[in-house]
Amino acid sequence: MTESGFRSAEDLPEGVSGHLGNLILALADNKRLLGIRYSDWLLGAPSVEAGIACSAMAQDEWGHARILYALLRDFGHDPAALEHERASGEYHSSELLDRDVASWEEFLALNFLWDTALSVQFEMLAESRYEPIHYKVRKLLEEERFHFDHGQGWTSRLLSAEGGRAALTGAFGAAWNACLCWFGPEDDPLIATLAAHGIVRRGAAGARARWLERVGPLAAETGLAREADAIWASTREPVWECYLAGRRRAAEGGPDEDSLARVRGDRNRELLMD
Amino acid sequence: MSGNGQVYEVFARKKRADRFEHVGAVSAPNEQLARVYAWQTYDEAKWFEMTVAPRDAFAAVNRPQAPFTLGGPGGRAPGADSR
Repeated sequence: MTESGFRSAEDLPEGVSGHLGNLILALADNKRLLGIRYSDWLLGAPSVEAGIACSAMAQDEWGHARILYALLRDFGHDPAALEHERASGEYHSSELLDRDVASWEEFLALNFLWDTALSVQFEMLAESRYEPIHYKVRKLLEEERFHFDHGQGWTSRLLSAEGGRAALTGAFGAAWNACLCWFGPEDDPLIATLAAHGIVRRGAAGARARWLERVGPLAAETGLAREADAIWASTREPVWECYLAGRRRAAEGGPDEDSLARVRGDRNRELLMD
Repeated sequence: MSGNGQVYEVFARKKRADRFEHVGAVSAPNEQLARVYAWQTYDEAKWFEMTVAPRDAFAAVNRPQAPFTLGGPGGRAPGADSR
């Protein structure tokens, strides 16, 4: 990259700072909620080892969320207020994370499809001209490698098990559109602006293609992706009717009451110190 | 879905100059998950390198029994630090 970097949000060109802050908030909220979904399986996973993996992934996600909320201070936000004070409708997390998931297949849709969709968006930020995010993204992606292996390893396992393919087809099918939409429509002003200024490496279509490259080979076995000339594509077109660009999700609403209480730490609020 | 696959033995070293030590074992349905489980279960040190191998890949040389049996499936290796 020959263009110079930006050392703080203040240095970003007009209009870019708001968009990047919005993207980081969406990433932070998704990480925070995903951590809760992972933690729900500490005791119900198929083996002790898988439970330990869920525990480790939950810790990773909460760590990532904490770092991202802290980074938003640079964008004029109060991280404590973001973490503890918001109503459900102010969260920018996916509808896939609004409530707990009932089955291991649905868990895998989050672990393999959704977590990878988030990681791909972080890959787009790895060489960002917004420099404060560099080191954070590199470390985060190192940890995420194991999340991907866990999701892929279990998806492979289930695809080869009796009844596994049908169960995965249902769960992946239900999560698929949310993943396609996460990267935004091709003319998404937020991503297009960030791409034009070298804040993200690729636009919406490029990021979506990268995600399909990573999940496509296994998703193909559930009929959701196909390959032609080494290019992976979705067999379904994204449905944008319900997409809320401002919150980067494809449904109204937000985390349910129980999730919100856990995310914000409501139960032990009086013990909150700072 | 049946069973947790097979037992993988886990070896790790803290520095490039160190020898690998046998740190334990995990049960996993496949090698990809064995790598994840090993890394996330035996996280007591900041390992420079970790590797896994299926328990049945090890052949006894002088003893009648295959090695690692003292640890039990998924158990800690004999002599490994207690957690």
